[in-house]
Amino acid sequence: MTRLLVVDDERDIRHLYAAELEDEGYQVDTAGSGNEAAELLERQAYDLIVLDIQMKGESGLHILQKIVKQKSDLPVILCTAFSCYKEDFSSWLADAYVVKSSDLTELKQEIKRLLEKKSKT
Amino acid sequence: MDPSCCWNKEQIAVEECPYIQGWDQQLLLNRKRRFLLRCIECPRFLEDLRAMNGQLDGLAGLFPYAIEELLALKMELQSLRSLNETRSREIKFLHEVSLVLQTSVDMDEVIAMALTAVTAGQGFGLNRAILLLVDKERQNLKGYFAVGPRRREEAGRIWQEIAERDLTLRELARHFFEEKMAAERERFRDLLELLSVPLSDNGHLFVRTLNELTSRHITDLLREPHLTREQAEALGVRELILVPLISKNRRIGLLLADNIINGRPISGEDLQSLETFALPVSFAIERASLYERLQEELERLTDANRRLQEQQEQILRMEKMALVGKIASNIAHSIRNPLTIIGGFARSLIKTTPEDDQKRRYIESIVRETRRLEAVLQEVLSYSESLHPTLDLWDVNQLVTGVYAGMQEDFKLARVTFQLDLEPNLPLVHIDYKQMAYCLRSILNNALEAMPGGGLLEIATRRVDDQLHLTLKDSGSGMSAETLRSITAPFFSTKDQGSGLGLSLCARILEGHGAELGVESREGAGTTFTIRLKITQGGTT
Repeated sequence: MTRLLVVDDERDIRHLYAAELEDEGYQVDTAGSGNEAAELLERQAYDLIVLDIQMKGESGLHILQKIVKQKSDLPVILCTAFSCYKEDFSSWLADAYVVKSSDLTELKQEIKRLLEKKSKT
Repeated sequence: MDPSCCWNKEQIAVEECPYIQGWDQQLLLNRKRRFLLRCIECPRFLEDLRAMNGQLDGLAGLFPYAIEELLALKMELQSLRSLNETRSREIKFLHEVSLVLQTSVDMDEVIAMALTAVTAGQGFGLNRAILLLVDKERQNLKGYFAVGPRRREEAGRIWQEIAERDLTLRELARHFFEEKMAAERERFRDLLELLSVPLSDNGHLFVRTLNELTSRHITDLLREPHLTREQAEALGVRELILVPLISKNRRIGLLLADNIINGRPISGEDLQSLETFALPVSFAIERASLYERLQEELERLTDANRRLQEQQEQILRMEKMALVGKIASNIAHSIRNPLTIIGGFARSLIKTTPEDDQKRRYIESIVRETRRLEAVLQEVLSYSESLHPTLDLWDVNQLVTGVYAGMQEDFKLARVTFQLDLEPNLPLVHIDYKQMAYCLRSILNNALEAMPGGGLLEIATRRVDDQLHLTLKDSGSGMSAETLRSITAPFFSTKDQGSGLGLSLCARILEGHGAELGVESREGAGTTFTIRLKITQGGTT
């Protein structure tokens, strides 16, 4: 079963994303901080990560850089309320960039697209 | 012997002395005055004196010596008196001239005054004055101005005019300065051009006179070796004086004067007076020229200052806009997370709520309103991100058809007919496709709202010189002049809903593209938006 990790410091966002993505048939773990995410990543193999950028503590862009170094084949979707991060060079490391919206269609499409792309390679 | 004359009579009759005129008949009754004023100069008295010689122990023989001396002294007195009169007139005149010279900072007024003074009867009374000025930039001694009759026949007319007007020197100069200066300059143009000499021509009479700082009185110009034949002939005189104009060792120019009309010989006094006069003239000319430069400098600085101020205002405006953008973006971001959660859960709920459930309407409401808020947020964020467009070469016609395709449904719903009039083979232009598409959509949405009952929307593309014009014309309600003015200000909206950012964002985007947005509108007669894009080199299809 495809396993996703959602990293966001807002509990309700984590609940929402987990519920919606589980509905789509994915197995979803959530992490509220960079440390939590790092721990989970060590214990568990994931197919894709949905990562918030602006969080209390470690920033998503920082976590992204560590992930890219350690697991370069793990697709990451940056998911943020700040569309301006598109202009931050380090966000280019991510495979996709989705601006948060109550309509999760775009996020789901991106997940699907990246997983398909990954399965082909 | 009896005297043949009347000197020994106490009183005489008119016919007895031919030297007494009607106006000094009192002398007929006063022997002493008659003797002093008339008899001692009378040839008949001298005749009598000679006849008496020897009869009066030789005393009468000495008398003629005394008379001779007396007459000489009288003449000397007369000449001194007239000299004194000339001097005092000269001083009065110089005072009058120097007053004007000291108070004026206008180059032409100073020169008009100076040259009028040289030529006017009340002044030095020379026929013609010519001024050559040092042009430092061109290294020239340049014929600048001349005053006087150009030809003999003109002289009579000018002097008559002066006499008729009965003007003071000052009035004369002012009249001249105000009414005649331009015409005079034109009248002497050829002569002035001919008299101009390069300062490097050290051998030339004019340059030499100026360099040696001494005046010259030339009595035969045609024999003067240091002047070209052409110049000498053009001057048309034999006698000429040249006075250098010097201010604190700086060479200002050269003053030439002559009596071209009446041919009166120029005296040493004429030269001396002009030399004295040259000093205040030099100062005045230099001051006027400095003032002129100062004025120019001042204008330049004022202009620079104005531009600086404009730039500062522009910076201030931009800072304000940036701040507005920043605030808007911060607010938007703080709202986006809770909005995502509210709307997201509402959407989840809908999926598990049956169609006939009463609660479904409420949840749908939440979803709809959340979506609306998110749309506003997106607009606000686009606004704050509109500062840096990513430019690329695009075909504007493709952009228009792309936007049209995306909005086709909206046009149908609004019952708006859409007409495209695209000029083929347009050059490519540098635009940020997404931003420009947003811009077109904003304008088109605006147009749709202006045509609630349907209408006609025309889009045309044209190449106009080095610009590409994109015209969007609607047949809607149009805008008032006031609305038109404020249309591109941020957060302005006549709509009840929305953030009002559409057109201001559009203006901002176009600004970032270096493009112009023109809006023409008449209430009831529709609105035309024109986007003028620059065509850069290399952008051809």
